[in-house]
Amino acid sequence: MNELNHVTYNEKGEPMVGEGIGFERIRRITGYLVGTLDRFNNAKRAEEHDRVKHDIRHSA
Amino acid sequence: MIQQIEKRDGRCVFFDLTKIANAIYKAAEASGGHDYQMSMRLALDVADYVEKNSPTSTPTVEYVQDAVEKVLVENGHARTAKAYILYRNERSRQREMNTGLMKVYEDLTFKSAIENDIKRENANIDGDTAMGTMLKYGSEGAKQFNEMFLLEPRIAKAHREGDIHIHDFDFYTLTTTCTQIDLLKLFEGGFSTGHGFLREPNDIRSYSALACIAIQSNQNDQHGGQSVPNFDYSMAPGVRKTYWHNYRDNLAKALEVFGVEEEGLEPAKALIEACGKKPVLADDNGTTEQIRARLLERTDAQTVDRIVAFTLKYARRETERSTYQAMEALVHNLNTMHSRAGAQIPFSSLNYGTDTSPEGRLVMKCLLLATEAGLGNGETSIFPIHIFKVKEGVNYNPEDPNYDLFKLAMRVSAKRLFPNFSFLDAPFNAQYYKPGHPETEAAYMGCRTRVVGNVYDPSREIVNGRGNLSFTSINLPRIAINAKGDVETFFEELDEKLDLVVDQLKARFRIQCDKRVRNYPFLMGQGVWLDSDKLSPDDKVGEVLKHGTLTVGFIGLAECLKALMGVHHGESEKAQHMGLTIVTRMRERMDRESRETGLNFSVIGTPAEGLSGRFVRLDRERYGVIEGVTDRDYYTNSFHVPVYYPMSAFKKIKLEAPYHELTNGGHISYVELDGDPTQNLDAFESVVRYMKECGIGYGSINHPVDRDPICGYTGIIDDVCPRCGRREGEPVSIARLRQLGVYKNHNSDTIGYHGDPNEERDRRPNPIESCCN
Repeated sequence: MNELNHVTYNEKGEPMVGEGIGFERIRRITGYLVGTLDRFNNAKRAEEHDRVKHDIRHSA
Repeated sequence: MIQQIEKRDGRCVFFDLTKIANAIYKAAEASGGHDYQMSMRLALDVADYVEKNSPTSTPTVEYVQDAVEKVLVENGHARTAKAYILYRNERSRQREMNTGLMKVYEDLTFKSAIENDIKRENANIDGDTAMGTMLKYGSEGAKQFNEMFLLEPRIAKAHREGDIHIHDFDFYTLTTTCTQIDLLKLFEGGFSTGHGFLREPNDIRSYSALACIAIQSNQNDQHGGQSVPNFDYSMAPGVRKTYWHNYRDNLAKALEVFGVEEEGLEPAKALIEACGKKPVLADDNGTTEQIRARLLERTDAQTVDRIVAFTLKYARRETERSTYQAMEALVHNLNTMHSRAGAQIPFSSLNYGTDTSPEGRLVMKCLLLATEAGLGNGETSIFPIHIFKVKEGVNYNPEDPNYDLFKLAMRVSAKRLFPNFSFLDAPFNAQYYKPGHPETEAAYMGCRTRVVGNVYDPSREIVNGRGNLSFTSINLPRIAINAKGDVETFFEELDEKLDLVVDQLKARFRIQCDKRVRNYPFLMGQGVWLDSDKLSPDDKVGEVLKHGTLTVGFIGLAECLKALMGVHHGESEKAQHMGLTIVTRMRERMDRESRETGLNFSVIGTPAEGLSGRFVRLDRERYGVIEGVTDRDYYTNSFHVPVYYPMSAFKKIKLEAPYHELTNGGHISYVELDGDPTQNLDAFESVVRYMKECGIGYGSINHPVDRDPICGYTGIIDDVCPRCGRREGEPVSIARLRQLGVYKNHNSDTIGYHGDPNEERDRRPNPIESCCN
């Protein structure tokens, strides 16, 4: 069974889906894309965490 | 007399005097001695000593060995004693390694990937699966074997202690890194996978299927990635053949439908054959006119017009549809097919962008659109890496024939992170470019490896059928820490390390050269590697391997500069100058080695995955936390400005570009964009164009691509999904999903996400005339 189909019920008895399902976050690592941060090794997790965005408003 | 001794594992075994005598004799031999009788007499002395002095009635092995050392020294055999001690230390190191290996195996067996970093050494291998774990057993065992039995001790020490890092060390004795596979050549006349023969394909769908099979087969012969340097040119013949078939079949149908023939197929074939050439997608070679003229002899003008219009319309439409389906299937296959006993999907890269034929253009358009659409549930595909070749006069400016495809490539990259962009006009790439010879267009492996120049055979400065043989990285920050700010000391040690790496690359190359064609049934057996088609199965591959590169890499230029000067190249012009001096020094050393040996030595800005953490961990153990150097869990990738350092995209590109010219073995620069770049394609384009203008060789733009698998939203998700409003791990009501139109049916087979009406609504019209699907 697909986890995405797993139905739970809230306090009002409404059927819900998605419990325990995270968001997928695709990132690039050594040139290759990786579908989830879970498979990054510890160093690359730290590096990904530190990445800052580069401003494009001003030219060099 | 002693009867038994106790081994390290606690077992008691019969005491054997000759074993002691043999060990002493071996040590004596190492220092030039040849007197076995003397060894025996010394062994008897050892036995006497142990019997008199052992604190236990059954002495331990360690106690006996201590006694040997003592007896040797006291009897004036100092050199033999020294050899014996060395031998003993080496044995105990090997024993520790064996125990270490078993500990590694224990962790692989009983710990999950979340607890065990080794299992996540490579993010694209699932270390929790049976085959993934089996692969790691083999890999860890091979590494220890290679270190114990193959490496020269000084090189083993440098590798073990993290002065250098020998990449893909588990494959040290087995194979080479990567290849640019020329599919055009491979498909000619068909090929064999080693498990069966495949005839030359006749349809774009077979072309794309065989492309995947070729990548998969070659992946099993090498440890690195697999790339196609000319995907557009390679697939174009498939489109051409598909069009012929569709033209013939639709002409046959039209002949029947408009009442000219009872059975249309044979007459249609005859009509086409009489032209002496085959119809083409652009319909500009006169075939249709000739067919029209012949038909006019048979029937009236109006019917002829209808037949021709029908044939052209459906031949084109069906060809476009087949091509789209073929490209869609290719993307799906490359994300699902397995190599390496199922533990990994092939690391595939496709270079394209410069074929201006209508067939090649259709291939690129369909591939890009299929990538933009995403996989089955609309998710971003991880493979292949797309590399769009940017070239003035071909696709860079609005008047260029493939400018529309360049624009489409940027639109897709803004959504899916691929394509990356390579720049054929960068001077170091342009120097090889010969118009009309796609094999001279610089192609990259997805990871960044680049092989074009050819010192071994200057008449073959091409990309097809070549690749990297092996590479080894130098720990630059450590050299800088050791130099304590002294530039002269720094360069002395750098030179030493470069010499060491050159020796090591050559030693590995000698092992690689001894392999035979049959060790690589696809890579060499099918002639994928340049000139391997001239070899027989039992020939050694040494000569043809010389087309490949032997490469020194580096990571942490930024931390190196911090340690040496207190600032990195993003912070100071002086540091930038020093950075360029350092990498120039590396390049000059490799160029010199190339001149002297006739082999292709090169420099790469290393694509470090496992290494980024390993070097810094070892350096922190050794030197403690040094601000800006060892205070993070990773060293910065190659020559990059540190990811944490705020800087404009344009300045980053400008600073990193000169390193591309120096690193002839491979390079890439990244820019991280904020927000959703699909909303600002002009900005995206300005970054790509700036890369080109600055002389970047290969570049790519990163931006967040998140996806909620429940409602299917793809874009940026912070804490809350902007579409369905759920937080990570929280459920959302089915009623809400229905309201959004993303929940079709409350049934266990069809529940969940099925296509995305919102995403589909957001898609923009194709920039190119005709439509694919």
